[in-house]
Amino acid sequence: MSNLSSTFAALGDATRFAIVEKLLQEGELPAGELRTVGQISAPAISRHLKVLRKAGVVEQRIDAQRRLYSVRPEAVQAIGSWSMSYREFWQKSLDRLEMALNQEMRKK
Amino acid sequence: MSTLKMERTFSADPATVFSFLTQPQNILKWWGPEGMTVPEHDLDFSKPGKWMSVMVNAEGGRYKVTGEVIKVDPPRSVELTWGWHDENDARGHESHVRLEVEPSGTGGAVFRLTHSDLPDDESAANHEQGWTSALKKLERLLN
Repeated sequence: MSNLSSTFAALGDATRFAIVEKLLQEGELPAGELRTVGQISAPAISRHLKVLRKAGVVEQRIDAQRRLYSVRPEAVQAIGSWSMSYREFWQKSLDRLEMALNQEMRKK
Repeated sequence: MSTLKMERTFSADPATVFSFLTQPQNILKWWGPEGMTVPEHDLDFSKPGKWMSVMVNAEGGRYKVTGEVIKVDPPRSVELTWGWHDENDARGHESHVRLEVEPSGTGGAVFRLTHSDLPDDESAANHEQGWTSALKKLERLLN
């Protein structure tokens, strides 16, 4: 479900990005409280939420009469694993270098 | 531009460390974070010339990086260039890597990494540069 290209396509829209940002900051919210992100209409918000749900970025939960929206942790993990900093590359590679060297020394 | 520096002390002797840093069959024992595979590679840092690697993570994300070994001074140092490629295989910003080894005084080796000329956002192997700051923002919110 969590396909990276659909995730990014969904987040490529400024309003949808702002919705996701707000949900990450404030946690689960009803659609009504998301309207403040772009001063947009209720139908527009629900269209954006539909795109985000289809892309697997956001999930919906029904609580009595309210529909509550939140960001799926899997989507964020996928985003996190998609970018790799120089620091991360070297730190993790050097950890492995250290292990490989220790193994080598045990052979000697 | 910014510079990333790391230092580690290994119990292995300098010659062994240098061989692990430069010999193709040894580089593959540590190149890339745990859990990544390196399906394509030309990693020989023992002599000047071009190098490349493609790393793939568990989610199928592909990271290609290429460069050139500029200078080798065995068993002390290696200098190379570094550039991530984007999803259209266009090579991005070029940075410089220096790997240094010296005796630790107790039989081991002190290893120093200097990765310089990095873009200031300390950025990442992203397939599209424009995403870097947006992603950083999202990741910060998560932590």
